[in-house]
Amino acid sequence: MGSESEYVIEMLHITKEFPGIKANDDITLQLKKGEIHALLGENGAGKSTLMSVLFGLYQPEEGIIKKDGKEVKIDSPNDATALHIGMVHQHFKLIEVFSVLDNIILGAEDTKWGFLSEKAARKKVTELSEKYGLYVDLDAKVEDISVGMQQRTEILKMLYRDNEILIFDEPTAVLTPQEIEELMAIMKNLAKEGKSILFISHKLNEIMEVSDRVTVLRKGKYVATVNTKDTNKQELSNMMVGRPVQLEVKKDEAKPTDVVLSVRNVSVMSHIHKSEAVKDVSFDVRKGEIVCIAGIDGNGQTEFIHALTGLDQVSGGTITIDGHDITKASVKEKGKYMAHIPEDRHKHGLVLDFSLENNMVLQRFQEKEFQHHGFIKFDAIRKYSQELIDKFDVRSGQGPVTITRSMSGGNQQKAIIARELDRNRDLIVAVQPTRGLDVGAIEFVHAQLVKQRDEGKAVLLVSLELDEVLSLSDRILVMYEGRIVGEFDSKKVTAQELGLYMAGAKKDKKEA
Amino acid sequence: MKENLKSFFKKDGVKSVLASLISILVGLIVGAIAVFLVGIFKDTIGVKGAWEGVRIIFAGILSTGRNVVGSLTWGYNAVNLGDMLFRATPLIMAGLSVSVAFKTGLFNIGAPGQYLMGTMTSLAIALSIPSDKVPTWIIWIIAFLAAMVAGALWGAIPGFVKAVFNINEVIACIMTNWIAANLVTWFFDGSVFCNQVEAGKTGYIYKTSYNGVATVKLGLDKVFKGSQVNGGIIIAIVIAVLVYIMMNKTTLGYQLKACGANRHAAKYAGIKDKRNIILSMGIAGALASAGGALYFLSGNTEFFWSTYQSLPATGFNGIPVALLALNNPIGVIFSGIFMAMLSTVGMQLTNLTAYNEYITDVIIGVIVYLSAFALFIRTWISTRKKEAVAKPSEDKEKEIQEEKTNERGNE
Amino acid sequence: MSFLIQQTLLFMVPLMIVALAGVFAERSGVINLALEGIMIFGAFTGVLFVRTVQEIGLFESAYLNGNWGALQLFEILAMLVAGIMGSVFSLLLAFAAVSLKADQTIGGTALNMLAPALVLFLVRIMVNQNTLMMFKGDSAGWFMLKKTTFGFDKDADLGFFGNTFLNKVYLATYICLLIYIILSIILYFTKFGLRLRSCGENPQASASLGINVYKMRYSGVIISGFLAGMGGFVYALTSSNCSANGDVAGFGFLALAVMIFGNWKPLNIAGGALLFGLFKCIAACYSTLDINGDGIFWLKEVGISSNVYRLLPYVITLLVLTFTSKKSRAPKAEGIPYDKGTR
Repeated sequence: MGSESEYVIEMLHITKEFPGIKANDDITLQLKKGEIHALLGENGAGKSTLMSVLFGLYQPEEGIIKKDGKEVKIDSPNDATALHIGMVHQHFKLIEVFSVLDNIILGAEDTKWGFLSEKAARKKVTELSEKYGLYVDLDAKVEDISVGMQQRTEILKMLYRDNEILIFDEPTAVLTPQEIEELMAIMKNLAKEGKSILFISHKLNEIMEVSDRVTVLRKGKYVATVNTKDTNKQELSNMMVGRPVQLEVKKDEAKPTDVVLSVRNVSVMSHIHKSEAVKDVSFDVRKGEIVCIAGIDGNGQTEFIHALTGLDQVSGGTITIDGHDITKASVKEKGKYMAHIPEDRHKHGLVLDFSLENNMVLQRFQEKEFQHHGFIKFDAIRKYSQELIDKFDVRSGQGPVTITRSMSGGNQQKAIIARELDRNRDLIVAVQPTRGLDVGAIEFVHAQLVKQRDEGKAVLLVSLELDEVLSLSDRILVMYEGRIVGEFDSKKVTAQELGLYMAGAKKDKKEA
Repeated sequence: MKENLKSFFKKDGVKSVLASLISILVGLIVGAIAVFLVGIFKDTIGVKGAWEGVRIIFAGILSTGRNVVGSLTWGYNAVNLGDMLFRATPLIMAGLSVSVAFKTGLFNIGAPGQYLMGTMTSLAIALSIPSDKVPTWIIWIIAFLAAMVAGALWGAIPGFVKAVFNINEVIACIMTNWIAANLVTWFFDGSVFCNQVEAGKTGYIYKTSYNGVATVKLGLDKVFKGSQVNGGIIIAIVIAVLVYIMMNKTTLGYQLKACGANRHAAKYAGIKDKRNIILSMGIAGALASAGGALYFLSGNTEFFWSTYQSLPATGFNGIPVALLALNNPIGVIFSGIFMAMLSTVGMQLTNLTAYNEYITDVIIGVIVYLSAFALFIRTWISTRKKEAVAKPSEDKEKEIQEEKTNERGNE
Repeated sequence: MSFLIQQTLLFMVPLMIVALAGVFAERSGVINLALEGIMIFGAFTGVLFVRTVQEIGLFESAYLNGNWGALQLFEILAMLVAGIMGSVFSLLLAFAAVSLKADQTIGGTALNMLAPALVLFLVRIMVNQNTLMMFKGDSAGWFMLKKTTFGFDKDADLGFFGNTFLNKVYLATYICLLIYIILSIILYFTKFGLRLRSCGENPQASASLGINVYKMRYSGVIISGFLAGMGGFVYALTSSNCSANGDVAGFGFLALAVMIFGNWKPLNIAGGALLFGLFKCIAACYSTLDINGDGIFWLKEVGISSNVYRLLPYVITLLVLTFTSKKSRAPKAEGIPYDKGTR
């Protein structure tokens, strides 16, 4: 062969493994020159890993990468840059106190006897900016500009270094609708000028609007590559989600009664952008039902739960439990009515340096049962934690005295679940409760949650796993870009339908 | 047997103790090397003098001076041992102060300032309440308690600015150190407390024995004849035990440690992290100031009041005491005594050789330097985990996958 | 008035240069609490150099002949030695903080404890007292610039500027000012400075652009050590008659306060150093300060104790920190050990 390939980048049979798991399993991706190629998949599909391999952050176990038909080795981001491959990460790599211009030239500065010589750089950047429609204020400090402009700065960084292949990792996750439109236009412009673009996304609308071809990944495996104009959102969603779930949770019909949790028009400000992460969310959860907030990670679920449980503040709206207004209540206050299995077990759920038994009483150590005039009743704590360990089958090296840091992730999670479920609260908030657990443990946790529900508790579940969402919950609320865009009966909706809503392709209009 | 030994050494606690012992050993060796090098280069000392210096560094506590022919003699030295216990008292208190703060996740580098506030308060009260109207032991207690209150307030200042404004407590402590130094100088400048009775001593405050106030000896002066020891060491040990009980047996200790180990989890559990930070620094301040009080209420120490130029070394030495003891209050008793031993050894060096006591400060400096690494391992691991978990998307995927594997590996 | 200005300059300039030392380290991402210790070490090595050179009679003839040029050269050499030794000493911090990723505040504290101990240990052995002084004469005699240096008569009146800036001053002060300006320019206008600052803000971003963060941080700490060491010697030269006693009376910590007060920016730091230097000067000589030459010692009349002037800088810094905690712009990544592994 030896002749020029029509593909500017080829990733052939890439396999990337982490201990025990194949993040990328024999994936082939080919990028044509001047095309916008989307990479679609759910959480955990392997998209970011694949792009990290291309950018030199990871090295694949198997497979090769070719540029312009020639095999290349990309061992570090420097190699990637040398091959004119650039990446705009989801979390920008910018120096906030520097100006836009300084950020663009950093690492590639022109100098005159060591002194920064900006004239040439300024000219080049201004030309690039005008050519591609990337409006930026060169002298503004990055910390003062909008997220959209920050992203354009990242793009200019790539163009300044004559990058030809541009990778965008979930670029619209941080933008306002207006900025998204601008970005779409910019990408089309770049492609027109001969740049080749790879962009990772889970948002079907944008993929349909701007890409030429789409490659779909699912659970680390390659599914298909299609021409965008030959497909539609339904098809893409099907490919993304795959066939309906094998996992079945045995449960009876739910018999919901009184409302326990009432959320009305709740909004929560984002900590990263100057906008709302949660917008005007309203719903109820009743005794005896499991309600699940489904959605792709990063659509406001985390912020909502933090505000609900008191780790963060509600910026608008009200939250009521059992008739009590707890919108502005402290964590301790809220803890009287709800148990919280947190998303991040290391950050919030456990004090890793503490023993297992000390973690079991994290919220309860001041109760009469466990202390006497300020002195800890060690026997009581020991007995209690042993009970929980037995009841919930929490495995550890030395039982209650084990330092939690040394326990496996799954057992750490079981410990948290044991603690929270035993608190016997009317509302259980469980965020990704089966993350990192094996099949047996997952079954156990599901059974426990169903049991709680059957005993009349209200369960608010947040999950990223569609299997779990469909099989465990009674009612499903889909969250997209901070809003609830759909409400479903779990028995009546399909994974594909959910996928469309989760990817923003469909939205239910709210009744006025 | 081999298996048991292996697993014994793998234990976290054992590894940490070993690390401490190693830093002590390395510190002593570095000191010995310095002594040796100096001895070689300075003719008046020579190799013989250097060898003597080294021997005193390692065993100085047992030295009993020189005999008629000029060689060093060894044996039980009551004065040395008694002085060692005397010097250990404020060191133990400073060590407790720093260790309590460390356990709560704070670096109390403000111990010198708190120590000074304790000194000032206890001296002022001990010397002003007329001892003909009030029994001296009551004066002593009032002075001691007042010192602790002063220290608690002084320690709470950096605690407050850290909790509420998130100002780095190290910087705040450094500021309060120097504010305290100047405040104390200002307070004593031209006051009635300056020694106007003894010739040439106006730079010092009266000994508290001038007003009849002195720490009870509890018979210790009979055991260690000729030394300065008094009941203060017993008081310090008792306080250390109380601190141990508080940190490990009470709900307060539980909260403080939770905040220090994982402020996020503490918040999640409804623990008031801001309040605990202020409380912890307050307790640390009270402990450091109590150290100053115990030292100066002893009745035979004089305070050089013009302290605006330098901070008391005892305060800073609380840091190695705490680090060597791995922040364990009972361990602090031992590392405090060890540091006092070094200090006594220093005096031996000055008295018996051409060397001087500063070499022991060098040893202490090396020990602290080495401790910086030991601590880093633990903090590094927990920050790596925290970062890995706090990062979204791509890293989360990786972490999820890693956890899935861990699961399978362990079950 | 001339006296006030001169004295303030004497305090202010070493304060500025040591604060800048702090800036270079922290801007590269390493917290440097050891400014005090490095100053002590620099003062010691500088004074030792002067003493040794005097002992071997090197500049003896220059002194006797009034050859001021050679003597000023001598002074500059001493500053250089102090700076280099300061860099060497700071390598301990660099190694621990950058290569071993150790706790930077403890490491800095360790150096602060090591320096006076080492210095006093050696000084005592060398001269059997606690202070190391010049072998011959004093700093005023050897190094101070006077009217006669410039060829004027001893009683000539050089006008306000001449009397203030040319009489009874040290070249070291002016050299430090010059170095301050040069290094500030380097920090903000050169490629090196840009890259250094990026490592203290977002080392991951810098690394992704091909910058060697480890090398940058080492550079920052070494420069920091040089400035602090040199500053320590200048302090000893001008404020304590070219003697080293293992103590700089908290000057290093005051410099830290100036750095924070100045929000890590050279211009603001100069202003802060002026203010704090003024306070220190007033504290030292307020009762004899005749500000406008009318014979009235105004400050003495006001009666505020010198102790208040001395503690004001620290109180002010604490207050400033509290009220500008939101705007305080410490280098974002300082104190966090950089690890290539974390992305």
